[in-house]
Amino acid sequence: MSLSKAKLSRRKFLTLSGAALATATAASSLSSLKAVASSGTHSATTNSKGRKFVYSSCAICVNKCGLVAEVNNGVIRKLNPNPHFFKSRAMLCARGNAGAKVPYDPDRLKKPLIRVGERGEGKFKEVSWEEAYNYIAENVLKVIKKYENRSAIGFASTEGFQEEFFIHLANIVGSTNTVRHPTLCLASNIQGYSSVYGTYPDADILNADFVVMAGSNRAEAIITPDTIDMAKNHKKQTLVCIDPRATKTSAIADKWYPIKPGTDLALVLTMINIIISENLYDKEFVEKYTHGFAELAEHVKQYTAEWAEKECEIPASEIYWLAREFAKNAPQSVWYPGRRSSFYANDVYYRRACAILNAIVGAFDRKGGLVPKRGIKLKKHDFEFPLYDFTKKRLDAGALPFLDEKLPEEFKASAGLPTDSCAYISEKDGSWIVYRDAALAGNPYPLKGMFIYKQNPVESVPNRKKTVEFLKQMDFVCTIDVTMSDTAFYSDVVLPESTYLERWDPAESLGGIVPIVVTRQPVIDPLFDTKSMHQITVDLAKKFYDMPEFWEDSTEEDREYLKKYIKAVDVPMEHLVEESLSGYPGAFKMLMEKGVFYLNDKPVYGNLLKEGTRLKTRTGKIELYNVKYAERGLDPLPVYRKPSQGKPGQFRFVVGRHGQFTHASTQNNIYLLESYGDYENALWINSKVALERGLRAGDKVKVVSKAGEQIVKVMPTEFIRPDIVYYVHGFGRLSKGLSLVYNKGASEAAILYDYVETISGNACLHETFVDIQKV
Amino acid sequence: MSKKKYAIVLDDSKCIDCKACTLACKMENNVPTGLYNYRIWVAEKPVRGHFPNIKRSFQPSQCQQCENPPCVHVCPTKASYQTEDGVVLVDHDKCILCKYCMTACPYDARYESSNVHAIDKCTFCYHRLPEGREPACVETCPPKVRVFGDLNDPNSEVSKLLVEHETFTLKPEKGTKPKLYYIR
Ligand code: SF4
Ligand code: SF4
Ligand code: SF4
Ligand code: SF4
Repeated sequence: MSLSKAKLSRRKFLTLSGAALATATAASSLSSLKAVASSGTHSATTNSKGRKFVYSSCAICVNKCGLVAEVNNGVIRKLNPNPHFFKSRAMLCARGNAGAKVPYDPDRLKKPLIRVGERGEGKFKEVSWEEAYNYIAENVLKVIKKYENRSAIGFASTEGFQEEFFIHLANIVGSTNTVRHPTLCLASNIQGYSSVYGTYPDADILNADFVVMAGSNRAEAIITPDTIDMAKNHKKQTLVCIDPRATKTSAIADKWYPIKPGTDLALVLTMINIIISENLYDKEFVEKYTHGFAELAEHVKQYTAEWAEKECEIPASEIYWLAREFAKNAPQSVWYPGRRSSFYANDVYYRRACAILNAIVGAFDRKGGLVPKRGIKLKKHDFEFPLYDFTKKRLDAGALPFLDEKLPEEFKASAGLPTDSCAYISEKDGSWIVYRDAALAGNPYPLKGMFIYKQNPVESVPNRKKTVEFLKQMDFVCTIDVTMSDTAFYSDVVLPESTYLERWDPAESLGGIVPIVVTRQPVIDPLFDTKSMHQITVDLAKKFYDMPEFWEDSTEEDREYLKKYIKAVDVPMEHLVEESLSGYPGAFKMLMEKGVFYLNDKPVYGNLLKEGTRLKTRTGKIELYNVKYAERGLDPLPVYRKPSQGKPGQFRFVVGRHGQFTHASTQNNIYLLESYGDYENALWINSKVALERGLRAGDKVKVVSKAGEQIVKVMPTEFIRPDIVYYVHGFGRLSKGLSLVYNKGASEAAILYDYVETISGNACLHETFVDIQKV
Repeated sequence: MSKKKYAIVLDDSKCIDCKACTLACKMENNVPTGLYNYRIWVAEKPVRGHFPNIKRSFQPSQCQQCENPPCVHVCPTKASYQTEDGVVLVDHDKCILCKYCMTACPYDARYESSNVHAIDKCTFCYHRLPEGREPACVETCPPKVRVFGDLNDPNSEVSKLLVEHETFTLKPEKGTKPKLYYIR
């Protein structure tokens, strides 16, 4: 057998996407990566000889799984799972494993860069840190003076252990305009569940007997420990998957319902109706802990299974089964709260209904149900930051005239949604789309400078064209990242951060049913001329401290505050870690020796059900009927409204995760890209529909929405409803610095339309309809 | 001293096709990049039926560590060999890249590694065993699809699983006597 034949036959082992579509050849950067990774000689800073094992934690997604790095002569050989780290059940996923090559990625940023060509042209020159800092300080000052407004400089970031220093930087500059990821992710979820329970609980999958994953794809969107518990337990617990796509979660589920997109609320309200009318609810629990049951019972009478059958396209008999089984298994029943929930304009009401469903069967704060998160309190500095006259309140706070346009047509009138202003979970988080559109409108004031850390809004915020416009209208953009993200590509200054394997990170408490504390310590010395966000903030703080002009709208006393801040944080990170753990004797030692610190490893149930405990709701009870919503003119009980519909021939575009990728940050990793099975993404379209339209695997189509268009190859499949299409996030990128995915496949942000759910400020990713044309 | 007989028992119903095993193996064993370079794979089982009456499932696999390994029998240089404890290995230095073993293997478990310039395949992470460490794929798998251990030890987890569960092997008709057992 010739080699090429042998290679071909190996194809049969690849998964669907790979088998049908593998085409491209290996990436050009491969040889240099190999050279770097195998020689280890480039690492002049490497001072450790021999083999060692170092505890740290993964940073490729939000889970922070514990790892033990095997390091050989200063080069990472392998990242292994930390057996003590029970939150991740002693595993590392594909991404965690591929992390071993992250520091050696040839596409890494190696030195600070300043743009020399047009913005977005991709021409940069390498500069020293000092030059970069001077450039930044000058430009910050220019913006502040020109607009007499410190809030004219915005700050965008996403979660991560170093993020606190980035937020400090915003405080030092004196801007109120921070914006974070929750409104692209789970803001409506938190808002919805909190409006019922006063808290956003976790699901006790480990002990649940009946689990419903609706629009939540835990097999591919890995969340520890939920994903692992779900997969391990699936034989002994009933798992129901509700999703318009047959995801990998559906593979291990007992039942899969390809629900009509946007109708989940109808299903849940109907289940509530069945459970109440058949007397299957937990009367004692409802009486003791909830508010508004009578109103709820009356309200849901209209939602019958026969009606929901038509609405959701799930047989009424199945809906009865689902409701009865859910109640029968309670309190070991979970309607999984999901995570990414930025789907529809009525998301908050849907999430409220899910929380209510769990509440009426008594599956809250009990073993196997929804359980409030706990945390471990760490000692944190209470910094006093300077105060400035030029600081204004947030630009997305208050009434915004354009907000009405941010709602889908069908949801404009009487949809129980605010149309003049938009809420968000916290002052720190903001609402990304509203923030961007306020800046584009220059209303209430111009936003002309931007610092962006560990986030890539160009590919993560819907309607890419607008985000690029948003960046282009800036006087100044500084991005801090590890690689040249699309956002970095449109920046003026790019600061290279050290990777998570090369630095100390602050200790953080990971809240959950069983909370733990983790940190990061360097596994290897930093390669290249990179710094941590911590160091960058300290350096810039010093710079600003030394600039008299920076203090013209402030007092000497305020300037002194900054000096105190610098003194407190300009210490090696391990001191800060030790200090934050000082309340727990032996904690730092345990963290270093086991890679994790915890007070105990057993869950605690019923904390919020204790006699005399008030929940953080207006009534102190579980609010089936929300008092605050009623006062504000919102629906106090979730009301179902038909989802918006596309024109005939159009498809709804749905988004979804893949186990190989974290949002848009890991597609440019050759190992993950290859284990995905192809070098570009493809459009999932129902086989029958594809046949009708004369589309075959590999054909190219143009996907056109109100926001833009993309060309992508087609993958006909049985795994998707005929009325929707889908492709994996993170391809078709704009940055030439991402050599493997630049211009390969199709971008999601480019076609997603940018509607907003105004109770939470969430993006509505599933309110996009597309036309498909063969090219 | 009783000899060991290593085996892996898999409960593939738990597999979510996350490919942590594939990546862990690549990192642990210096497997080069390339879509067809791997010691371990996750296959999607053939999907029957049409939307919405379909069921997906996955089958992770690797070299079967055959007790009667055709790859060893055909190797002209004895580069492919079997250890005392039954693990089939390739001596990279002796391999002349004739690819007989690739042709002989009914499981398509071998590939040509450009990193070692030899035919390569799963070794049960033989280098890890003296340190008391599990194979990388076993260790990293989120739902722990695989259990690795010694069949000659009746108290080992693998022996117990084989007693407790009905299992099957792949392509038994080939007479290779695989030591990868799948729980039914
Ligand atoms: S789930 Fe995977 S990527 Fe996320 S932290 Fe854990 S190992 Fe890393
Ligand atoms: S690591 Fe485990 S769950 Fe993931 S693909 Fe491999 S066998 Fe399946
Ligand atoms: S599976 Fe193939 S390579 Fe492995 S021992 Fe059997 S014949 Fe040899
Ligand atoms: S046992 Fe080791 S060599 Fe074999 S597939 Fe698993 S990780 Fe790879």
